[in-house]
Amino acid sequence: MENISPLIKYFIGQGVPLDTVILLLMLPIVVTLIAFFRQVIGIKAFGIYTPAIVTFAFLAVPQLRYGVLIFVVVILVGMLMRFALKGLRILYLPRVAITLSIIAFSILILLSFGGSMRRTGLAAVSIFPILIMITIVEKFVAAQIEKGNRAAVILAVETLVISLVGYFLASWPLLIKGIVAFPWLILITIPINIFLGKWDGLRLNEYFRFREVLKNLK
Amino acid sequence: MFEIFKNGNRLLGMNARNLDYIRPYNRKKAKRLADDKILSKRMLKKGGIPVPKLLAKIRTVEELESFDWFSLPNTFALKPNRGYGGGGILVVYGKKKTFKCVSPDGIETLPDPVWIKSDGSRVTVSDLKSHILNILDGAFSLANMPDIAFFEERLTLLKLFKPYSYKGIPDIRVIVFNRIPVMAMLRLPTKESGGKANLQQGGIGVGIDLASGVTTTAVLGKGKIIDYVPGTRMLLSGIKIPYWKDILLLAVKSQEISGMGFLGADVAIDRERGPVFLEINARPGLAIQVANLSGLKERLERIKGLKIKTAVRGVRVGRDLFGGEVEEEVEEISGRKVIGTIEKVKLIGKEGIEIEIEAKIDTGAMSTSIDSELAKNLGYGDVIDFFEKIEFPRDFKREDAGKVEVELKKNYAGKHPDLADISIVYSSSGVTIRPKIKMQFKLDEVEIITLVNVVDREELKYSMIIGKRNLGKFLIDVNK
Repeated sequence: MENISPLIKYFIGQGVPLDTVILLLMLPIVVTLIAFFRQVIGIKAFGIYTPAIVTFAFLAVPQLRYGVLIFVVVILVGMLMRFALKGLRILYLPRVAITLSIIAFSILILLSFGGSMRRTGLAAVSIFPILIMITIVEKFVAAQIEKGNRAAVILAVETLVISLVGYFLASWPLLIKGIVAFPWLILITIPINIFLGKWDGLRLNEYFRFREVLKNLK
Repeated sequence: MFEIFKNGNRLLGMNARNLDYIRPYNRKKAKRLADDKILSKRMLKKGGIPVPKLLAKIRTVEELESFDWFSLPNTFALKPNRGYGGGGILVVYGKKKTFKCVSPDGIETLPDPVWIKSDGSRVTVSDLKSHILNILDGAFSLANMPDIAFFEERLTLLKLFKPYSYKGIPDIRVIVFNRIPVMAMLRLPTKESGGKANLQQGGIGVGIDLASGVTTTAVLGKGKIIDYVPGTRMLLSGIKIPYWKDILLLAVKSQEISGMGFLGADVAIDRERGPVFLEINARPGLAIQVANLSGLKERLERIKGLKIKTAVRGVRVGRDLFGGEVEEEVEEISGRKVIGTIEKVKLIGKEGIEIEIEAKIDTGAMSTSIDSELAKNLGYGDVIDFFEKIEFPRDFKREDAGKVEVELKKNYAGKHPDLADISIVYSSSGVTIRPKIKMQFKLDEVEIITLVNVVDREELKYSMIIGKRNLGKFLIDVNK
């Protein structure tokens, strides 16, 4: 790297790996992005934690498509489990526990299947991103119960979209170079968030939601 | 494009609702009260607001196990105390008949009761138990907090609403801010919403004119504008909500009691009890804007900071500011009654004969005329017979009509006690010479004594038309 800020040099000198420094400095940008999506565009996703953690899970898998594949499988199995467990009439936590277990088995099968197809990249995905993505199913099940299946699937898709945008942003070489060169720039996210927190205009999707009303207002 | 963003400023979005209204005006304590249905019900009741009767509540699993299922009536609603968006509500409409079982050794046992849901499916005690367990576990509460389940009286459906709603009870949502009702909608349950009135669940929202309490435009679910109840020809606009003023007053009073500055009040109308307050909502949804095709933000901003002393005054301000033209008001200001183009008229004939008919209000006619048959029924047969015997000049020119009329008047008017006058009338059907008689009739409670001309109107739809000369005290609304 040609242009490294003295601050970053200091961190590295203290033994903090460069990747860790970059990821930690990337976090404010990713969460600001999520806040922007919620307040200005109106894409909700599962709160702020889930899309952020999925973004970093994507960053941690060797190939993005395997990350997306695991995410989709987790949500699909979560959806199927709702119907499978419907007749059982059991309480929330045991239900989530069973769902998590079945998802763990499914991912195991998926990984071994990938291995048999000689897609070694899939089996090489490290355990932590996998675990992170399995645990998001709790958010999904909770959304299913509270808001219904359709709404839960929409939220899951929104989470995937935000996480993908976050992924591409966080792996954008120019941005990484910029952070390494000028780490103080990260502080801009704070005034941006103050602005977002005071933004009381219509969200972009509300222009769509209220289109009939807008047509009617003269 | 720019226009859209400018108009967007008049609508209340999620951001503005949370940041500018809920945050500053609804304090945490008040919000907690609104989210606790049992507690808020008790508070409202204390404040003199009619609420549905609480039948029983279940706080713990132990209470659930020892609950006496026979104590429940045939019909009730089971609700989570901290539910939101209509989730977790179970309503039963009747009890299945159960018979005593007698075992071979003579011990009588009564099987557990079974209820019926709106879709005809059965609800057993074990169904109720598992539903209540889910409620206690927090499956329907905000942030999945452990919750309380309660049984509540089910309200009975008003006849007026019957053709419009599927199974459940419609309710009226009123947004109240600063003691002023700001916007209102009627929420109708549909098949899709499973008999629940929440728009999130697929119900219908119908905008209501704040001044008159008459419905305007309607939305199905989250954003589909509709004119009719789906699958029927029931028009959704023009429904007059009964007890309108009382409903608005209840909504404003609930705001005073709750201590919140901005809220959604849900009021239902029970067939026997009249308006019954359902619940207060600290985070009212925004779909009411679609139902009314109107923006909340501009209305809220107009009344920010107004000092309103009493609920009655707040209701009046809301109706004046945000309602359409009110008929009563028009009548008050102009001192004239508003009538339609067809009105009921009570004719007062000889010897106290009274006949009520529908008359056409005809501003194209100068004077009022009635059918000769009708005049005979009113006791004017004698004068009509007298008039028919008179020989009239025929085929006179129009220029001469005036002269002929004067002549006729001189010769015949007053010759019979009831024959007040004679006139020559040019109408679409030609020229006629008509007798005029003095008569009294009542139109919209206003008594009118006038000369009416008598003519054969047998072929015509209305046996009476009321002309300009008698309409001075009225305003005519062609939509009425």
